Amino acid sequence: MKASPTLAVIAAVLALNSPLLLARELCPTNHQHACCSPAEPTAAFTDKSIYQFGSRWTTDAGKQIKLGALRGRPQVVAMFFANCQYACPLIVNDMQRIEAALTPAQRARVGFTLVTFDPKRDTAEALAEYRRVRNLAAERWTLLRAEPDDVQELAALLGVRYKQDARGQFAHSNLITVLNADGEIVRQQVGLIQDIGENVRVLAKLVGH
Amino acid sequence: MKPTRTRLLLVFTTCWACAAAGAAVAASNAPAGMVVIASGVFRPLFASPTDSREVPVSPFCLDALPVTNGDFLEFVRANPGWQRSRVKRLFTDEWYLKNWAGDVALGTNAPPAAPVTFVSWFAARAYAQWKDKRLPTTAEWELAAAASATGPDGKNDPEFQRQLQAWYSSPSGKLANVGAGRPNYWGAYDLHGLVWEWVSDFNTAMVTGDARADSELDRQLFCGSGAVGARDVTDYTAFMRYGFRSSLKADYCIHNLGLRCAKDL
Repeated sequence: MKASPTLAVIAAVLALNSPLLLARELCPTNHQHACCSPAEPTAAFTDKSIYQFGSRWTTDAGKQIKLGALRGRPQVVAMFFANCQYACPLIVNDMQRIEAALTPAQRARVGFTLVTFDPKRDTAEALAEYRRVRNLAAERWTLLRAEPDDVQELAALLGVRYKQDARGQFAHSNLITVLNADGEIVRQQVGLIQDIGENVRVLAKLVGH
Repeated sequence: MKPTRTRLLLVFTTCWACAAAGAAVAASNAPAGMVVIASGVFRPLFASPTDSREVPVSPFCLDALPVTNGDFLEFVRANPGWQRSRVKRLFTDEWYLKNWAGDVALGTNAPPAAPVTFVSWFAARAYAQWKDKRLPTTAEWELAAAASATGPDGKNDPEFQRQLQAWYSSPSGKLANVGAGRPNYWGAYDLHGLVWEWVSDFNTAMVTGDARADSELDRQLFCGSGAVGARDVTDYTAFMRYGFRSSLKADYCIHNLGLRCAKDL
């Protein structure tokens, strides 16, 4: 919920004591916008490009970008959260194994992107710290956070399921996605500590080496 | 969250009677076509040992009716990018608005007052945004749909439960127009009995084996043993909705899956 707990309590009190007041004063009226869908396709991207989405993201350096900024080289993408004690370190390990298996020439033409499920705790600073601890090279790795709605949309696009439990941990699919330079999904690998060979072959083919 | 929940519950208990008395009046003062659902508590069907057993839901506005073909026609007219022949394949599968006669023509299989179906989550979400609304969360939808015609919680109302099971066990044929049945306690129609509806967080229902961190949940989801771990083994229809949501992907367009919108108070 976006509303603060205090507001929620106030709203609840109002709702329960005086539904009339609530309805009249708090229910916003409808404003119809001629066109405000962020999903309105952008001509510049291909039909299957996930970069068509106009959502706004923040990098661990605090820079505002759209996903389209990743265009131009294939990307290896996964969703994670920095506090994860179990699966995420293994997902990042798998991505680093892919990185290590590429030749230097290939590596220079591939990007690696981590997107957090947990924008509340994974601030730009927290992501920067994660980059430092995991030793993720600045020229290849992008770490992103966004508002929960946008995270949900990207998860839906990638087919990632996730759910936060009462302790604040996220249960989630373990999924590594390879995007081509246009942002189209080329390959997805499910599970942890998988054979990375096919991912490396696909990337090598995409960068033409 | 915890202290808040306790306070909320306290308020909830002490003021329940006055809320009930005013509910019908409140509904008539919501934005046109919407009803107010008072705050409540959603108890998830499946909760792993670390999950919340109770999710507090703040009061919100919900469309009284499912979105109709006629409503959706207005949307695609205003947003040509969402017309059948122009929509990007990323956002919908090839079944998008399959029962319509054309890009901006409904035809005989899609009466204007019948609920729109064959819409993806992306399309449903775009429609809601165009209306300056949003999709309800699972917790919100379940809270609203728990109400029988006479009370906010129909769980122990045998007649309500019997009606639900009758619908969930009958095949969906030709869809009736929206609003034909009886409204529930909040004034919302057709939450059961007509079509399934998209929720914003459909992808939080997990049954696939790829979520190893969620193996506890996985184990709970298999047939008989699944029922043992669930909150309420008699709530068959909640099992069906959970199973249905967990089988969805965001681009799926299905013959009996539509939407209605929600809005913050």
